[in-house]
Amino acid sequence: MEKNNDYIIQLQGLVKKYGDKTVVKGINLNIKEGEFVTFLGPSGCGKTTTLRMIAGFELPTEGKVLFDGKDIAGLPPYKRPVNTVFQKYALFPHLNVFNNIAFGLKLKKIKVDFVKKNGEKAVKMVKLKDFLVDPASGKPDFSIANGDYYSYVDKGYIKLRKIKKTVDKMTKKGKVKKVVNGYKYYIDEKVRRALKIVGLSDYETRNVDSLSGGQQQRVAIARAIVNEPKVLLLDEPLGALDLKMRQEMQLELKEMHRTLGITFIYVTHDQEEALTMSDTVVVMKDGEICQEGTPIDIYNEPKTAYVADFIGESNILDGVMIDDYRVNIVGAEFACVDSGFGQNAPVDTVIRPEDIEIKKVGKGQLEGVIKSSMFRGVHYEMLCDCNGYEFTIHSTVESPVGSKVGLYVAPENIQIMTKEHIDNTVEVTFTSNTTFDLYGGEYEFDPTALFEDCSYDADQDVLTIAGGEYTLKGEKAKVNFAFTDIDMTDDEYAAPLAGNVDSMIYKGKNYIVDIKTDDNHHVYADTQYLWDKGDRVGIKIYKFGLVECQLIGKKEDGNV
Amino acid sequence: MFKKFLALPYALFMLLFVLLPLVLILVFAFIDATDGSFDLVANFQELAKENALGKVIKNSIIAGFSTGALCLIIGYPIAYFLTKKEFNKKGVMIGLFLAPMWVNFLLRMMATKAVFNVLGIKLGMGAVIFGLTYEFLPFMIMPLYNTLLKIDKSFIEGAGDLGATPTKAFWKVTVPLSMPGVLSGLTMVLIPSVTTFAVTEIMSNGKMMLLGDFIYSLKADSLNMAAAISFVLLLFMIASMLISNKYDKDDGKGGKLW
Repeated sequence: MEKNNDYIIQLQGLVKKYGDKTVVKGINLNIKEGEFVTFLGPSGCGKTTTLRMIAGFELPTEGKVLFDGKDIAGLPPYKRPVNTVFQKYALFPHLNVFNNIAFGLKLKKIKVDFVKKNGEKAVKMVKLKDFLVDPASGKPDFSIANGDYYSYVDKGYIKLRKIKKTVDKMTKKGKVKKVVNGYKYYIDEKVRRALKIVGLSDYETRNVDSLSGGQQQRVAIARAIVNEPKVLLLDEPLGALDLKMRQEMQLELKEMHRTLGITFIYVTHDQEEALTMSDTVVVMKDGEICQEGTPIDIYNEPKTAYVADFIGESNILDGVMIDDYRVNIVGAEFACVDSGFGQNAPVDTVIRPEDIEIKKVGKGQLEGVIKSSMFRGVHYEMLCDCNGYEFTIHSTVESPVGSKVGLYVAPENIQIMTKEHIDNTVEVTFTSNTTFDLYGGEYEFDPTALFEDCSYDADQDVLTIAGGEYTLKGEKAKVNFAFTDIDMTDDEYAAPLAGNVDSMIYKGKNYIVDIKTDDNHHVYADTQYLWDKGDRVGIKIYKFGLVECQLIGKKEDGNV
Repeated sequence: MFKKFLALPYALFMLLFVLLPLVLILVFAFIDATDGSFDLVANFQELAKENALGKVIKNSIIAGFSTGALCLIIGYPIAYFLTKKEFNKKGVMIGLFLAPMWVNFLLRMMATKAVFNVLGIKLGMGAVIFGLTYEFLPFMIMPLYNTLLKIDKSFIEGAGDLGATPTKAFWKVTVPLSMPGVLSGLTMVLIPSVTTFAVTEIMSNGKMMLLGDFIYSLKADSLNMAAAISFVLLLFMIASMLISNKYDKDDGKGGKLW
C-alpha cells in the first residue's frame, strides 16, 4: 500500500453502485493537508456521493478512502476525524445555537492518564465536560485535589455537577488552586470562539429557526469547525443563499480556510464559486474526474471541450490541425502553440471571448459581421458571425451592430485539444440479415452498403459476402456512425432507441449533444436545434460504417 | 360571496352537533336537578357525596396512565421501525398494524375476553389495561409514525457526523424531535381511554368502572350529575390539548397529527 504523509486524504479506485447503476466510477485523487479542494460538476455527476463516502454516510462498493495513510472506508461517520457542513444545514431544531454548536463537543471523549491514590497508573476515556482544567495551562489537571479528586474519579464520580460543590469547598479552604471546570473551559470557550469566527457572537441563546439562511449556514459551519476536524467537508453549503450573501460567504469561507489551516473539501455546481475559492478544482462528469488542477490551469488549459464549456464562457469550435503550430478553424488559418497532433487531425479548439481582439477588416485572421451587442457592466458582449459560425466576443470597446470587422486571436490564446469522440463506435448484435441490436434498439441497415462485395439471395435470408454465404443472425460486429448521421426526434417511439439529453456543447453553428440511453450508454449527435438537458429523445440513425466484423456463421445446407 | 355559503352546511352541522351539546352540558351541569334553578355548585356537591366516584377516579388514573405508558412503550419502537424502509416495504406493515382499527372494538373486546377465558387469565384491572392498550395502540402509532417519518434524515446524519453513535443520535436527536408525536399520541390515548365505556365492562365482567362507564351509568337517573362530571372531563381535555399544542408547533421539522 502506498503511504504518503503529504496527503491527508487519498481516494483509490473509489466506486459506488446503487443496484446496477454506477454513480462513481473509480475515482483516484490525492488531497494534501491544508488544501482547499473543490469537486465541481453538474448535478448527478457523483460529486456529492464522493463527499458522502469520505464523510462515511455511504460505503464505497469498491476502493479505498485513506486518511493519513489508513483506510477508513469501512468506518462509521462518528469514528471519522472529519466534519460536514450540509447543504440544508441540518441544524437541530430542538436545540439553540449554543447547544447546536456544542453538540459534538459534549460527545467528545479524550484519553486521560492519571495516577490513582495508591500510585497505580490508569487511563480513562473522559468526556470533555466531565473533568477539571487548570486555567493557567489550559490542560486537564488531575493533580489538583490532592487525592480527593482521585477518589472521585475512582468511584466514577466524575460528573461535573457532583464534584463542583466539593471543588468549590476545597478552593475556599485553600486546598486547591482555583480551577475552571472542563465544561466551562472547553465547551463554553470553544463555542464562543467558533461563533466569533463565523461572525455570530451573542447569538448563543437564539433559536435556530429564528435565524436567516445565511446565519443558519454560519451556525452549521461553526458546529463543524468547533470540533477541530482535520478535514472539513462542505456539501454545496451556499446553494440555498441568494447571490449577494453567497459572494460574501465565499470570501469568508476562503478566509476561514486560511486562518484555520485545515483541509476543506468543497462540493459545488457553481463554477465561479469553485474558481474563486479553491486551490485545486476537480471537474467531474458521470462519476469520473475530467480534469483536476488549479483554477488558473482549469480555466486556461481545459483538457476537454466539456471542461471548457463548463468553466467560464468560451467559443468551442471544430478545428483541423494542418500541421504543428497551424490550425484551421472555421475556414481560417491560425497560428497556435500546440504540436504533436499530426497532420490534418480533427481537434476541438477553445477561444475565450475576452481573448478575441477586434481589428479593422483585413488586419485579423478572420472576417465577420457583428450581429448583436449587449452591455454587460465591464465589457460589451458581442456576437460575431464568421463564415456562418457564431463567435462570442468580450471587449470594452463596442463595435456597432452590422459592421464588418477583422478578428485576431494570439497563438497562446487558442487552446487545442484532441477530440474525445470523432464518431460513435458501437458493438452490435445482428438480429437478422438487415437488422441489428444497438444498445437495445433494433436498427435496420443495408447490408450491401455495410459489407463490401455483398449481395442478397432472392428471399434475403442468405447473404453473399466476398464469395462466402452467411446468415448474420446472432453475429456480432463493431459499427460506427457519424454525429451528422443521427436525427433526434421528440417522439421517442418513432425511433428504435431513446435516451435523455445529458449535455450539449455549442460549436458556433451546431450543437454536439450527448444522449444518455436508459442503459447508460452515450450516443453523440450533431444537431442544429437547441435541446434541453433531460429532454427525452428518440435516436434515428441513417448510415452505418463497418469497423470490424469476423463472420463465422457460414450458412450450412438445409439450415433455414 | 358565493364561497361563503359553501361553508353553511358545515357551520350548521357544527352548531347542531358540536356546539349545542357542549352548551347543553354546560347548562345541565349548573342546573339543580331538584328545583331546576341555576346553581353553581349543587351538582358538584352531589358528585362529591357519591361513594363510588373516588374509586372510579382512582381506577381511571391507574388505567389511563398505564394504558398511555404501555401504548408509548409498545408503540414507539413499532412506529420507529415502520419508518425504516426495509421493515415497511410499500407501507404494508403500517397497514397491518393499523388494521385492527377496521374491526369494531366491541367485537375485538369480546374476542379478547373469550381468549382470556380460554387461557384462564383473570379478568380485572390487568385485563382492562390490556383491552385499553389493544384498543388505543393504533392511535399512538399513527401520530408517532407521522412524526418520525417527517424527521429529516440529515439530522441523524449530522449527529453521526458530530460523533454520536447511532444510539446516542437516537436519544439526542430522534427522541426530542419526535416529542410532538409522543404528545399527540398521549392525548389520543389518555383521555379517550378513561372516558371509553364497554371495554371495562367486558374486560372486568362489569366489576370495574372508569369515568366513561360512570357517566354512562349516571345518565338515566341524573342527567345533571352526568353533565357535571362531563364538564370536569372537558376541562381536563382542554388542558391536555393546550399543553400538547404548546409543544406542537408546526415548524415543518417534525410532524403532527392535527
